[in-house]
Amino acid sequence: MELIERGEGEMNGVGNVFFWIITFFVLFVIVAPLAWIYLTAFKAPNDIFATEAKKLIFFQPTTENFHRLFREFPFWDNFLNTVIISVSSTVVVLVIASLAAYSFARWNTGKGHLLFNTISTRMFPGVVAAIPFFVMYRNLGLLDTRFGLTLLHIYFNVSFATFLLYGFFKEIPEELEQAAMIDGYSRADIFRRVVLPLVRPGIAVTAVFCLVWSWNEFLFSFLFTRMAARPVTVLISSFWGSIEVQYGPMAAGAAIAILPTLLVSWFMQRYIIRGLTFGAVKG
Amino acid sequence: MKAETPWETRTDFAVVRRSTVWEILTSEKYFKWTLLIPLLVVLAIFMLYPLLYCAYYSFHQWGMRGEAIYVGAQNYRQLLNDKAFLEALYRTLKVLVICVSCELLIGLGLALLWSRNFPGENVVRGLALFPLLVAPLILSLLWNFMFEYDFGAVNLVLQALGLNKVYWWSPERALYTICFITIWQWFPFATFVLVAGLRSLPKDVFEAARVDGASPWYTFRRLTLPMLSPLIMIIVVLRTMWLIRLFDPLYGTTRGGVQTELLDWIVYRTAFVYFDIGYGSTMAIFSLVLTIAVCAVMFKILMKALGGAH
Repeated sequence: MELIERGEGEMNGVGNVFFWIITFFVLFVIVAPLAWIYLTAFKAPNDIFATEAKKLIFFQPTTENFHRLFREFPFWDNFLNTVIISVSSTVVVLVIASLAAYSFARWNTGKGHLLFNTISTRMFPGVVAAIPFFVMYRNLGLLDTRFGLTLLHIYFNVSFATFLLYGFFKEIPEELEQAAMIDGYSRADIFRRVVLPLVRPGIAVTAVFCLVWSWNEFLFSFLFTRMAARPVTVLISSFWGSIEVQYGPMAAGAAIAILPTLLVSWFMQRYIIRGLTFGAVKG
Repeated sequence: MKAETPWETRTDFAVVRRSTVWEILTSEKYFKWTLLIPLLVVLAIFMLYPLLYCAYYSFHQWGMRGEAIYVGAQNYRQLLNDKAFLEALYRTLKVLVICVSCELLIGLGLALLWSRNFPGENVVRGLALFPLLVAPLILSLLWNFMFEYDFGAVNLVLQALGLNKVYWWSPERALYTICFITIWQWFPFATFVLVAGLRSLPKDVFEAARVDGASPWYTFRRLTLPMLSPLIMIIVVLRTMWLIRLFDPLYGTTRGGVQTELLDWIVYRTAFVYFDIGYGSTMAIFSLVLTIAVCAVMFKILMKALGGAH
């Protein structure tokens, strides 16, 4: 019953056992499927298609899937595409969003309507934007270019980044800026020298989210690239073809592609939780 | 010396002129708009343009080749009688309700469990955040594989436990399987938002309730839940926004088959598989209006909730 309260109280023996059983069960449900990607990545085809339960864990590990992935598919090229697209779009998004978020937070520019319009772009069905841009990109020759896809990723992340940063800018006391103005700082200087250093944690949180979202993005990447600018998510999806399913390379590719995001979530957990609550709660 | 004077003057002139524009842009009156210029440009290109484009073609018949033919409101009439579209709409709402309610319930339960300080909480949190940050597409491929009938891990485990194998991708079950995948990925979101919320609740109120002899259930219903409601709203709003546009889990699993076609998928199929830009635009506009309507209401609630939490 302690559980229903705030949880600071001492747990008795039964409560303790109950707590750890549930915790381990939940962690198992979360970790087992992810671990399975890594197990599958090191399995030979006949182990992948084995129909005995013990083969799920006990098998002869092999790196054949990775060799195939690197030899037969342009995995590292696509990986590089993902890196370039997500990093460059994140940088641009951070510049645009921090300027705008500051304006919204300090002057309530557009009296909330503009902020609503901004956040609503993220509610836009991606396919709505995809139709005209597909036609336009085809005419401009931007299909299957990193530049074209980066532009779309900027669009897709900018509204959310603005909204996230808005919460962080909102916390900066106006008095600080007034003091800087008395010291003779111009508006631009205040933004650069006073405000930006203070929201650095907010920018870090936003950067993490933008990087991860761009890294994981699929719809635009899938519609707007074929070969040259193809990011790694699209390559992995192509292993699940209508004719045959290449489980081995798929698992190997996924194992590498999700590694950066797993590391981010492990090492930046506090930042991530801060971002998830839009700074509403300091986790 | 004399010869250099005009050159110097011109430099001065250029500097002066640049600084004037800069001064106007950073002046008290215009600075707030200057800051917004890049964002407004991006929004105009990526929001206004697609909107006008789709609105225009929703009144036309066009298959990407040849001339677009004006057909009036015929596309919209067709849409309202389109059984596939209405079914996709219904399924989307169903997924929305199932996923949001399950995520909230699981999230709340786990948040109550994990809100205390316990040994190894960083490890638990680190591991439990994993699904949130992994690409939805990769997760859907993974689960597709796990739910495979013959050699999928889930069925093998069921078999080892002496249970019957289940055909997870049958037309009756596939939609729920997709819901499961989505819930599996997103319940940590609700959990950790609520854990953060529970930890920030004022302690003295709960102490007072305990001293007054309030039962734990009463305390939970009358104190904890109302205080968490802003955060619960945030979860509901954000998840609604994302769930209406569910696409990746379909691509990795059923690809819109076995009665799992959702809103975004049917738009995708019409516009990018059949290249029916006119009708696809009509669907897009319809789903956009629906989303905006739902989200306008949701956004009001969200802002109120955020205001309450600050």
